Amino acid sequence: MQSSTKITEPKNQWTARLLEFWRVFNKNRMGVIGLGMIGTLVIIAIFAPLIAPYDSSSTESAQIGDIYNPPSAAHLLGTDDAGQDILSNFIFGTRVSLIVGTFAAFISIIIGGTLGLIAGFNGGRTDNLIMRFTDIMLVIPDLPLIVVLVALTKPSLLNIIIVVGLLGWTTTARVVRSQTLAVKSRKFVLRARGIGAGNRHIISHHILPLVMPILVVQAVLVVSNAVLTESTLAFLGLGDPSALSWGQMLNYAFGRGAMSIGAWWALAVPGIGIVWVVLGLTLLGQGLEQVLNPRLETHHLTPGRPVVQNERDEFGSGKSADEKSGNILLDVQNLSVNYVADGRPPARAVENVSFTLKEGELMGLVGESGCGKTTLMLSLLRLLPSAGQIVNGKVFFKEKDLTALNEEELNIVRWSGISIIFQGAMNALNPVRTVGDQISEAIIRHLPDFPRDKRLDERVIELLDLVGIASDQKENFPHQYSGGMRQRAMIAMALACNPQVVIADEPTTALDVMIQAQILELLDDLRKKLGLAIIFVTHDLGVVAEICDKVLVMYGGVTAEYADVDTVYNEPRHPYTQELIKAFPDLTKPKKKLTSIPGYPPRLDALPAGCRFAPRCPAVFDRCHIEQPPLHKLGDMHFASCHLVEGSK
Amino acid sequence: MGVELFPRPHNLKSFTTSRSALNRTRILLRKIAWALFTILFVIVLNFFIFRVLPGDPARAGIRDPRLKAEAIEMLRVRFGLDKPVINCFESLNPVKLGSCNVNPLDTQFFIYVRNLLQGELGISYHTNRPVAEVLGERLWNTILLIGAGQILSIFIGVVFGVFAAWKARTSIDRAAVISSLVAWSLPTFWLGIILLFWGSKFGLPLAGKATPGASTYPLLQQWGDIARHMFLPTLTYTIIFMAEYTLIMRSSLMDVLSEDYILTAKAKGLSTFQILKDHALKNAMLPLVTVIAINLGFTVGGAVQIESVFSWPGLGLAIFEAVARRDFPILQGAFLLLAISVIFANLLADLTYTYLDPRVQTE
Repeated sequence: MQSSTKITEPKNQWTARLLEFWRVFNKNRMGVIGLGMIGTLVIIAIFAPLIAPYDSSSTESAQIGDIYNPPSAAHLLGTDDAGQDILSNFIFGTRVSLIVGTFAAFISIIIGGTLGLIAGFNGGRTDNLIMRFTDIMLVIPDLPLIVVLVALTKPSLLNIIIVVGLLGWTTTARVVRSQTLAVKSRKFVLRARGIGAGNRHIISHHILPLVMPILVVQAVLVVSNAVLTESTLAFLGLGDPSALSWGQMLNYAFGRGAMSIGAWWALAVPGIGIVWVVLGLTLLGQGLEQVLNPRLETHHLTPGRPVVQNERDEFGSGKSADEKSGNILLDVQNLSVNYVADGRPPARAVENVSFTLKEGELMGLVGESGCGKTTLMLSLLRLLPSAGQIVNGKVFFKEKDLTALNEEELNIVRWSGISIIFQGAMNALNPVRTVGDQISEAIIRHLPDFPRDKRLDERVIELLDLVGIASDQKENFPHQYSGGMRQRAMIAMALACNPQVVIADEPTTALDVMIQAQILELLDDLRKKLGLAIIFVTHDLGVVAEICDKVLVMYGGVTAEYADVDTVYNEPRHPYTQELIKAFPDLTKPKKKLTSIPGYPPRLDALPAGCRFAPRCPAVFDRCHIEQPPLHKLGDMHFASCHLVEGSK
Repeated sequence: MGVELFPRPHNLKSFTTSRSALNRTRILLRKIAWALFTILFVIVLNFFIFRVLPGDPARAGIRDPRLKAEAIEMLRVRFGLDKPVINCFESLNPVKLGSCNVNPLDTQFFIYVRNLLQGELGISYHTNRPVAEVLGERLWNTILLIGAGQILSIFIGVVFGVFAAWKARTSIDRAAVISSLVAWSLPTFWLGIILLFWGSKFGLPLAGKATPGASTYPLLQQWGDIARHMFLPTLTYTIIFMAEYTLIMRSSLMDVLSEDYILTAKAKGLSTFQILKDHALKNAMLPLVTVIAINLGFTVGGAVQIESVFSWPGLGLAIFEAVARRDFPILQGAFLLLAISVIFANLLADLTYTYLDPRVQTE
């Protein structure tokens, strides 16, 4: 229901929004530099007659000796082929460039904006027609066409403005159309239409305000394009002879021997003017774009932050001395992960989590979205996004501490020791490589001795067969697979190098019930057959009850409860676990009412002071708001972090 | 394809994947048909521009008061101006309606189309040679220049773009982005002038495609001579367009490197180099192909400027000279040839894309 207030959202508050925009824009270095560059030129253009040392058309002093004089005290930037002061001509040229640029851009923006708006808003045949026409105009080389048009009409500033303006609208139309399309289907527009608002009202009150910012960015770029085109036309000899623009100055200098005389000043100065305008506008446009459309400038190959170890153990760890028996594969101790951003306190995404995993064991990792499950799993193999940092803890895999390895050593453990079945396998598989190829790639990487002949193919087929995919699907691309098949292909890929531990990160979330069941059965089967240890990340307590040996319940980045599966279901001690179980249907008591937990998990950058579950906890009392409960040991294999269980066994 | 009762998520997902519903042959045919339609549009446009706008000296000359009536009539017949422009219109500037009941083949428009089909583009006012002949040899020079420039700028742009994206937010990235933005802001003709100025100090040839008399040299030496003449124009071209490809490659690769499948590749223990080479490059190059195609028209504008500065005897220089001499048949012919070449090249790039992206299905 939050968004119902948004029906009127884009109205009014213009000043507030502009101020807010300015505040953000001010921090963008590119944009501010660009604005400064353009601002300077605008001032020069306005006050040209005051600044320029000579009158724009002063040729009275022109004598043979004045032609192409190098820079001197009298002529700071030298003189040109007619003996005129280049500095003065440059200053007056600013006016021509800016006027042509602005007016031509105005025409383009009006045409492009209108066409884009109509196409995007009406859709269907109108849209098709307009966009087809735009495509044609995009393909036709515009400079030759402009040259033809200007050459046929008279080269005057007005004609140049009209021609450049009439041909410069294509990108604007495309950009505005796609933005209109995006805005059109937003909730508040649909609702406004639902309550009977007319087209005109919707466009002016709902769509225009959201298209406007993009139009502004576009306008900046179109102006720079128009300035460039004008100077090019003038250089090619199609400028207005009565308006000495920078391009015109270059045309005269280049055509009248500046090159052979070596009068570099006559060639350099006007060009620098053009670069100044275009660069200023480009920077301004980039800056605006970055403010309006902030993009993360990091990706999966951005080096991660180094692991740090703050030896602290305030909250009693879940370190399970009890489990030191048996064949322990994975031993995670007091792992903490922060998300770090400049100028903000770190977000504590995972705090002090410990667990162990034995051969053939299946552990469920349970909690709502945003409780740190995926972060925890990614941190095991140090695959966190670059903002993520392990700030404490150890991850022992077969007695080797993964947090102390370097990238190369880690690459050996990745996939051959611990592999991951990612959630949403559509995006986790590379769309332009065949599935078989992506599986064999892992084998080649980790088993260098594996023969690269028929046997490699056979191994891939064997793996696909294991997950129930026919061998003739090997050469197919991921988009040719169904959702369930992709997930199974992902599992086949995860098993390719015989890992000892497999992390399954919500492998069934997006799938329908039948396929979910198949995949679960498959995983359970593989565990029994291959002796895999599996960590199963899920929201689904039913699944956990069915196949897991033990359960780690996470809330707000910390361990809420950690116990074997029977204990969790039969005597849950943490109120969060209890609530989760209440929210889950029980087949033996079909009449029981299902309850949901009101509210949401805490935001990691605004964690409550005491217990993280306190704001939603039905059993909350004063202490919970002040003091974060440590993890209490309740039994051989039972831990819970709640003040209520303190001292009990 | 049959009806799908339960559309799979990927069919609804994005533009590229939705194309998978169409098979390749149909896409091919549609694209070729579209290119032909665009060419038709250009031909029509090219005709009417010169009929609607003022300034055609053929007509201007006819209005010369010194000419006698018979002479005017002779000129009108010679240029075909005695015929109606097209059915229903006697002339378009000034607009004069005429009979609609004329044989279409006897109108200026269809005579123009017929001549085009026979490869006739008119006679140059300046040299009195057939336009097709003058421009034919020049087209190849332009293709040579643009081809060399495109290959170099794409190659260097891709390499720079990959480094910038991979090292995002480091000083390498910033240097690449800022120098690209500066290069992008340079007017092509001005960069040409500056390089010409600079190159003249090193004894590089300043104009043309070959040293006069070079045709008597042995073949290898002739090529060397052309290469020396090409150096500065190609360098200009490369600097200007490399900048754009760098920026596009960077942003495209940044997008790809943020995809889930890159995380998968990393989890598989692949090295950074392997991830870039095997998982990121091809995916990031795909949008670049589209951009190259869209940009070709723009590229030609660059060639016009470069050829004008370096007197490189291509279509661009033909345009430059025709403007100075008001040689309209050449101007009209050069525009037409350039436009059609660009449409073809565009089609080619488009078809390449269809083959590179496996999401466009074969059937």
